[in-house]
Amino acid sequence: MTEYYGSKLEDIFNSMEDRFRPEGAEGVDAIFCYDIAGEDGGKWQVSVKDKELRVEKVEGNLKGCSVTIITDPETFIGVTLGKIDAGEAFSSGKIKVDGDIGLLTNILPKLFTKYTPPAKDVTSKDIIDTVVERFRADKAEGIDIVIGYDITGEGGGKWSVIVKDGYCSVKEGLDPNCTVTMQMDAKVFVGLNLGLIDGTAAFTSGKVKIEGDMGAAALSAGMFERFKVGVIEGAEELISLKCLPSIDQRFATGPVMGKWFDGLKEKKFYATKCPVCGRTQIPPREICALCRVRCTDFVELGPKGTVTLIDDVYYASPDPLTGEVRETPYAGVYIVLDGASEEEAFAHEIKKEDIDRIKPGMRVRPVWAEKRVGSYKDLLYFEIDE
Amino acid sequence: MKRVAICAVAQHKNESDIWYKRFQGMLLDILEEIQTKTGMDFSEQRGVRSVVSCSDDVFDARTISDNGVTDVLGAHYREEEKIAQEGLNAVGYAMSIILSGHEDLVYLAGHCKESQPESRNMCTNLGYDPFYGRPIGLDFTNVAALQAREYMHKSGIGDEHLADVVVRARQWASRNPYANATELVEKGEVMASPMLCDPIRRLHAYPVSDGAVGMLLASEERAREFTDTPVWITGFANCMDSYFLGDRDLSSNFALKKAAANAFRRAGIKDPKKAIDLVEIMDAYAYQQPMWLEGLGLCDEGQGARFIEENGPATYNVNLSGGMLAGNPIMLGGLYRAAEAVLQLKREAGEHQAADVKRALAHGTTGGAGQFHTVLVLEI
Repeated sequence: MTEYYGSKLEDIFNSMEDRFRPEGAEGVDAIFCYDIAGEDGGKWQVSVKDKELRVEKVEGNLKGCSVTIITDPETFIGVTLGKIDAGEAFSSGKIKVDGDIGLLTNILPKLFTKYTPPAKDVTSKDIIDTVVERFRADKAEGIDIVIGYDITGEGGGKWSVIVKDGYCSVKEGLDPNCTVTMQMDAKVFVGLNLGLIDGTAAFTSGKVKIEGDMGAAALSAGMFERFKVGVIEGAEELISLKCLPSIDQRFATGPVMGKWFDGLKEKKFYATKCPVCGRTQIPPREICALCRVRCTDFVELGPKGTVTLIDDVYYASPDPLTGEVRETPYAGVYIVLDGASEEEAFAHEIKKEDIDRIKPGMRVRPVWAEKRVGSYKDLLYFEIDE
Repeated sequence: MKRVAICAVAQHKNESDIWYKRFQGMLLDILEEIQTKTGMDFSEQRGVRSVVSCSDDVFDARTISDNGVTDVLGAHYREEEKIAQEGLNAVGYAMSIILSGHEDLVYLAGHCKESQPESRNMCTNLGYDPFYGRPIGLDFTNVAALQAREYMHKSGIGDEHLADVVVRARQWASRNPYANATELVEKGEVMASPMLCDPIRRLHAYPVSDGAVGMLLASEERAREFTDTPVWITGFANCMDSYFLGDRDLSSNFALKKAAANAFRRAGIKDPKKAIDLVEIMDAYAYQQPMWLEGLGLCDEGQGARFIEENGPATYNVNLSGGMLAGNPIMLGGLYRAAEAVLQLKREAGEHQAADVKRALAHGTTGGAGQFHTVLVLEI
């Protein structure tokens, strides 16, 4: 399995049991399904019930899902580790969610402690790579040496560390002008740097062979900060806080927008008509902004109309009311409904199958939901009127 | 010195839940009322070309929420600027536009529906920083309680004094057709009402309110085109205190004293006790009425208890509208105060009209525990 950001898919799912927090699962009865596409992908089903967890890898179809996350391995691992912004992945369509999105935003974070990638074995190269940043110029005054490292065995290599005029640099290979060369097995090198092996003992037992200036070898120890695993200095202070400020709202529609929503139930488009200039406004508004006069007359428009503008969109933000993310690309259309004043277009969406054929000037008709409740969703989309 | 007049005011009745109207509809109602009262229009030649709005994006749950109401502000194809600050400052802003000479006529309107979000405390919690203030639960109500405790100790105010303030507020509110909480209450009822955050009881706190206010401001040259009784702005000032509560002396009234001193200086007032005939102060919580009066110099420092016992609020015509305690949205507490002060000066306050009012003061505040104060002096 391919690694992304130092983790494999299996690492994340296999660690779920250890990361599970029964106290966060109080009253949760849900099946989280993961459909992770691609060669490195797979399907998992994570069931939580009665504060118990079951994680299964699924061959074939996912069943009984309360919510399904559809994505690819790189995105999934990236989001899990916080390397990829979940919101962006969502709106760019890299993650799609089917089912109750509230489970993901509100429940899932409570069920598990944060995933951290497995501790990696430190290699000789990790140590060499940090030599320059660990170098202490104040301890290297007047020192002009080249230290050769001849590291043998698995994970070995040859490097030269050059210290001169208070600067330190590293190059691959053994420099012919090495002041001193140290030869040892990679395991010993790593062990010494992590402080797991005593230096003097390693030398006397012959695990470390030193050629050249012994004094230079002794000097080298004091010129570098200790190697530390996975710690970036200052990172602890640079915390960024991720949270979702959320306050439920109850938006009034008032008599004007209310009339509009009522009309949708009956498959009717109601517009307000300005008593002065006669223009129609859809969705209807309380006032004609141009004439600054209250609009109280409603007229019915459409239902068919003519397309004026088309807008192909390749990303989608979640529907703020349901959390659902529509398929991309989708096409927004501006339509002048029959009976509307010329410049008063109405924005909606065109049927997916018509996206490639739709052009300005074409006639379209609305397609309504079977069950209409007085919501924007009562109108599914427009389609080409043929 | 140029002068600026408030020609007319319109208040939407404050209610706890205007579920049947969206805020656009509320704004249109007050726009029409101002037009009816003044005959003003939005013509390019002699009409309003500049509009100042006041609203809060968090309460509206919209980014730059004035963009969605320009039509009902009359601001279509005109200048419009929003004040995202307690509404009394919109009066100062509109005044500045006229004093600068850029425009001679400005329409001003503010709106806020506290009933729209599930909790106004959750909205004011967002006034604090995400790392520290929000998670420890600060909001404008519980922060006020810290101040209440400190101030009450300093001025000798007890639960009975606070009950007196609320009882009186309701008595006046019952005469104000625009007030929200108009039911009379007994002192014992107030003292038995449940604690929100000690020492603030539920009846000590302003009720959740929806409302909108509109005003027409004009230069001295043009004011009488729109009214026979222009009300002149003679002093305006505001002052900001520290954001962090721990940095502030919560009972010192520092920012209010500073704002009042500047407004009085501009209005040529030496002794506010003699100069001010009527005061409308933004008392979101009962303890704030005596406290802000101390800050304004109408009540002596640390004498809040005695002031209430000796009927100080009646002597100085304090909050004859019922005040903020009778309910205004928090964004408009000071703007409603100014509207009421204007009505009094114009002698249009009906059943709560005071006698012989020539100079009135309107006060507004926002930010936890009165971080920011605004003082407006008006004269007829």
